[in-house]
Amino acid sequence: MKKVLIVDDEQDIVESLEFVLQTAGFECHCAYNGEDGLNLAREIQPDLIILDVMMPKINGFKICRLLKYDNKYKNIPILMVTARSQDDDKQIGEETGVDEYITKPFELDDIVKKVEGYLNK
Amino acid sequence: MAKILFVSENEKTGKEIQEVLQKNSHEFCYADNKTLTIDIMKTQLPDIVILDSQIRGFDLKDISKKIKSFENVVTILLTKNDEIEPEILKNTNAFLQEPVSPRFLISTINANLKTKNSLDKLSNSNQELARSLYQLNVLYSTSSQFAGTLDKDKLIDFLIEGMDKSLSFGLSCVLTFRNEEPILIINSLYNISDRLLEALKLRAVLNYKSLFEKKPMPFELDIKHLKIEKHIKHAIKEYDFSVLRSDNMFAPIVMSENFFGFIEIFREAEFTTEDATCFQTLAQQVSLPLKSASLYEMKEQTNKKLERLERLKSEFISIVSHELRTPLTAIKNSMDIILSGKTGVLTEPMAKFMNMGRRNVLRLAGIINDLLDLSKIEAGKMDFKFETIKIEPVIEYVKTSLEEMANEKNLNFKMNIEDSSADIYADTHRLEQVLTNLVSNAIKFTPDGGQIEIRTSVMDAKEINYVEIFDDEFKQLHGKYLVVLVKDNGIGISQEDLARVFDKFAQIENSLSRKVGGSGLGLPIARQLLEAHNGAIWCNSKPEKGSSFYFVIPVADEMNKFLIEFKQNLQKAKVNNSSIALIKVKGDEALIQDIIEENNLINKNYLNNSIKETNEKISTLTMTIPDGDKFSADFLKKKIQGYVNEHKNVYPNCAIMYSYAVYPEDAIDEGELIKKSGDSFVHISGNELNN
Repeated sequence: MKKVLIVDDEQDIVESLEFVLQTAGFECHCAYNGEDGLNLAREIQPDLIILDVMMPKINGFKICRLLKYDNKYKNIPILMVTARSQDDDKQIGEETGVDEYITKPFELDDIVKKVEGYLNK
Repeated sequence: MAKILFVSENEKTGKEIQEVLQKNSHEFCYADNKTLTIDIMKTQLPDIVILDSQIRGFDLKDISKKIKSFENVVTILLTKNDEIEPEILKNTNAFLQEPVSPRFLISTINANLKTKNSLDKLSNSNQELARSLYQLNVLYSTSSQFAGTLDKDKLIDFLIEGMDKSLSFGLSCVLTFRNEEPILIINSLYNISDRLLEALKLRAVLNYKSLFEKKPMPFELDIKHLKIEKHIKHAIKEYDFSVLRSDNMFAPIVMSENFFGFIEIFREAEFTTEDATCFQTLAQQVSLPLKSASLYEMKEQTNKKLERLERLKSEFISIVSHELRTPLTAIKNSMDIILSGKTGVLTEPMAKFMNMGRRNVLRLAGIINDLLDLSKIEAGKMDFKFETIKIEPVIEYVKTSLEEMANEKNLNFKMNIEDSSADIYADTHRLEQVLTNLVSNAIKFTPDGGQIEIRTSVMDAKEINYVEIFDDEFKQLHGKYLVVLVKDNGIGISQEDLARVFDKFAQIENSLSRKVGGSGLGLPIARQLLEAHNGAIWCNSKPEKGSSFYFVIPVADEMNKFLIEFKQNLQKAKVNNSSIALIKVKGDEALIQDIIEENNLINKNYLNNSIKETNEKISTLTMTIPDGDKFSADFLKKKIQGYVNEHKNVYPNCAIMYSYAVYPEDAIDEGELIKKSGDSFVHISGNELNN
């Protein structure tokens, strides 16, 4: 089973994502802040990461950059979730290597489809 | 009584005359040669000269001329007969015949003394008149200076200058305000000792207190906190306390309820009545411009505050909207999960109400998006992507995406799109937003079976029937426009609601509209978006008959593209608190290119966009400096002047005009910036440089 890592400081959002992705047949791991997220990523080596931008202490872009610049993790697709509109973050995203953007509020079906697209190849 | 000089070689006659004169209390002098005559004229200033026509040793004509050259001297010619040369006659006021009788001598002298007094008075009057004329001139030129500035400090400078020119004071003390703090400005001919300075300060405080004896004082004035500004003309001498005892004049500078300060001047020579009038007039004349200057200052401060508040408001809306999206996402996710059936089977009523909740979550999300859009546009932070496009694909896209909604109500679309619709310079996504809003409104407010017409055409500004519904910023339309009409035969809008239809949250109050939902921001957003496109939007409507929404966008041409981009650049400069410059070159377009390539002037990070106004051969370049970097106005001016100077021969017939704004200090708009450069804000030409 493919592993998905969900990193978001909003527990409710993490829980709803976990529910639909588990139902779709993915193994879900969750972290509620950036530091835990990084540690978990190194520990379990996920096949895909869903990452929230606005988190306390260390934001999503930093994590993304750290992972993408590390040979061990740079091939893991990262989906960035943001409450801001795409254009604001797009430029930073391009520099940090984000694979895709999802704006809140999102359609759960869409996310499932995207994850399936990246992982069921 | 009078000083009389007798010029003659005849000593005997001289002694006779001396006796008579001294008996009548006149002073007597005697000269028997030219040199002595002139010496006495210079040192003694006699009132009357008795000239003996019998002089042989020196020239009579010559001496009479020399005597006449002294001001206000009466010449009496002593003669034996009537044969006198006309030249000498010219310089003579009266005659005495020899032999002289004492009585005749005295009466002639008295009569001529009267003449002399009149002459003296006349010449004094002339002098006074000349002085008055001069003072009037100073008043006139000073009041022109007053009228030419709104700077309070300059006004006070002009006042002191005017007082000095017209009254030549030795010392002046002006109490005024700088940055709301009192300051005593002292202008003095000579140095002022510290003790005298302290005395002047004390005097100023006493003057101030006496002005407001029984009335409340505008503020507290105490010696310790009184700032001083001293200007000394000649440091060679020093004034002592005696200057305070010389003649002085004092006047407050007031305008109705406003106190601007006072002025006191000192002068050794006494002040005349004319001087006093001149002084009072000047003090009065400066008060009105001072009031205008304060009002102007207040207005500028208010404007800056308003701009700051606008920006704060936009930031606040932006932050809050982002915060709202997160819990909204959680709510929506929960509902989606339940609705998916994966948590258990749903009964019909459960599904119905879950769907109702979901619909409202989406509606809330729409409102938040609209709020964010609006606040972005107002803060100048919206990023537009302008391209040259045609309107047809946009209309097609919108129609297709809303077809299902229209079909649910059996509404029919009537399309009337001109085949050769013109090119427009626009942001596709934003136009889609506007059209979606208009068409979905039409669908919402038209009952079942109705019709929605979408029509486009290209018209000249003059042919467009622009209805002035909202009274702010009526825009002048120029040139050719693409006109898009979205017309429905729905419930329409009443005349009074029509006036508010583009206002934020002005949802028209009726039972139907409350059901159809919407954020109430669609139309105000549409208006702002059209404005960014240099277009306009308006509406005609009749209750029960339907509404027609028109919007226009200028047909794409170089000028329009330039103006749109210029607007964007201006917004960026305002938002980043940086600068923007507008440079126009008339005559040789290559000069603009050269200016662009001139490395020192143009930083590669500067945003440039340029346009050629080909009929007048004017090229315009705008430069926005990014992110808080500000260039100094002087720097730009020097750079351009320097460059043009160096290349005079390459561009002999070029003229450069430019204007610039540095934010947030200059709170001006694009119209003003363009006008500034058009008014030759700074005009430099290739072969003659003005400063």
